[in-house]
Amino acid sequence: MNLGVPKAAGLRPAIRSIFAYVLGDDDDAIPMLPAGLPDPVRQVAAEAVNRLIDYQGPGYAQLYVARLRRFIGRRDIDDAMFAEIARLMVVRMAYDDAIRMAQLKLAEAEAGRGVAPDDVRKLRLDELVSLLPKKVADHALRILKYLGWLHLPVTMRFSAASRLRRRRLRIEASFKRWRLSSVRYATERVWVERWLHMIDRSLTKQPAAVATVVATAEMVRGDGDGYARSLRDWNLIVDHLIKPTLDGALSCPDLAGAITEARAAVSSDPRQETLERVIARIRERASAGAAREP
Amino acid sequence: MDISHLAEHVGTVGSLAASVFVVATYTMKTMIPLRVFGMLTNLVLMITAIPFHSVLQFGLHAVLFCLNGYRLHQMLQLVRNVKKSVNSDLSMDWLKPFMTERKCKAGEMLFYKNEKAETMLYIVSGRYRLVESGIELPLGAIVGELGMLSPTNERTQSLECVESGTVLSVSYRQVEELYVQNPEFGFYFLRLASARLFQNIGKLEERLAERAATAPASAIPGLA
Repeated sequence: MNLGVPKAAGLRPAIRSIFAYVLGDDDDAIPMLPAGLPDPVRQVAAEAVNRLIDYQGPGYAQLYVARLRRFIGRRDIDDAMFAEIARLMVVRMAYDDAIRMAQLKLAEAEAGRGVAPDDVRKLRLDELVSLLPKKVADHALRILKYLGWLHLPVTMRFSAASRLRRRRLRIEASFKRWRLSSVRYATERVWVERWLHMIDRSLTKQPAAVATVVATAEMVRGDGDGYARSLRDWNLIVDHLIKPTLDGALSCPDLAGAITEARAAVSSDPRQETLERVIARIRERASAGAAREP
Repeated sequence: MDISHLAEHVGTVGSLAASVFVVATYTMKTMIPLRVFGMLTNLVLMITAIPFHSVLQFGLHAVLFCLNGYRLHQMLQLVRNVKKSVNSDLSMDWLKPFMTERKCKAGEMLFYKNEKAETMLYIVSGRYRLVESGIELPLGAIVGELGMLSPTNERTQSLECVESGTVLSVSYRQVEELYVQNPEFGFYFLRLASARLFQNIGKLEERLAERAATAPASAIPGLA
């Protein structure tokens, strides 16, 4: 019989762990960088892991490491390109949402750099609702769509100027517990997987275009309308140029050139008319070129 | 004869018995005994409600009795179906009642190669193609049943919807819950998954044997 440890001592961590489970705490181990990672990538990856632990938690950083592991030992990819994939992947995985904005503002205040001016961000209503868990967000988005309020602009102020405002930031930042069950995360996850899938397929089918495909990740950035537009532009280029070429449905021997040409046509036009026109022209040219071939 | 006095005694004994059953229910570790004890508790509380003419208590426990009975039936049916499947065609159709429907549009990717696998899919309608191998999956095919047990938990190929249709999906987490709640189901599920794995190995061996038989002797290393 063990009389040394009172039962209450074991009870407290048990209660704490139950609360942590209910609140969705991430209790995964901090990921180790895998063996076989080239030195330039190792540096980028080490920073990325720290960034993702701060962003979401060790479990999320583990996902990053697992995604990196797919490229280890591949002879068709050089160190510089691998490092670029690692760099761009962390940027996309640590996407900017209202929670992140609160996290950053709070970190800024806690770093003791004095009270910085307020950050004012113009977001969209659907962007905010998409932070909710899927089951709730789907209904809310449907209602907003019916009312025509889906793209309504919402101005959010992130301020650490007073104790009360810092408390508010802390509450906003604490929503990160539920981030991985949100609609936004589901969208971002599919985006990253699709981007990696395009890289993987171009490595096999169009190795000359890999660097350009990797660089397309830079297109998607920002928040609010800018983010939605950049995502639409990226999808348009992938759906009508990259994917058909890799599927063999479009004969485009210079895929890299085609992507660069399309990216140059990306403008702030919300209707994407210029981009659509340029892609149509590239496709016509590719089809004509294929018809000329014996 | 004073019936109210008797009713009071019945009520006290009933409440005592119900309390014992409630405690027993909460001590159960797995789902089937938990449901059985839950039903016994409901039954005792229904009987206890009669002498006191407590319609609300009777009604509540009658509903809970039916609910517990339905869930118990589902669990027993599940075990029966998995057992049957292990001994017959190794199909996974028994999972259907636990799956949710998902509509897919042509061109939609259901999952990507190397992505962390989290769901099992059952193809109901439409056409679906494994992108890397170009293999089209037939209707009724199950995708990702072994991924749940694999250590890496990663998809080995990407799956694309070629023609719009419907799939049923169940998350690994749900299957894990069934597994933990019901050890008998867990045992038969493991046997079924292993049997399907051995079936796949058997098919591969057959194909290898066929290839070896059709290839000329000189093409086989060591025989030239």
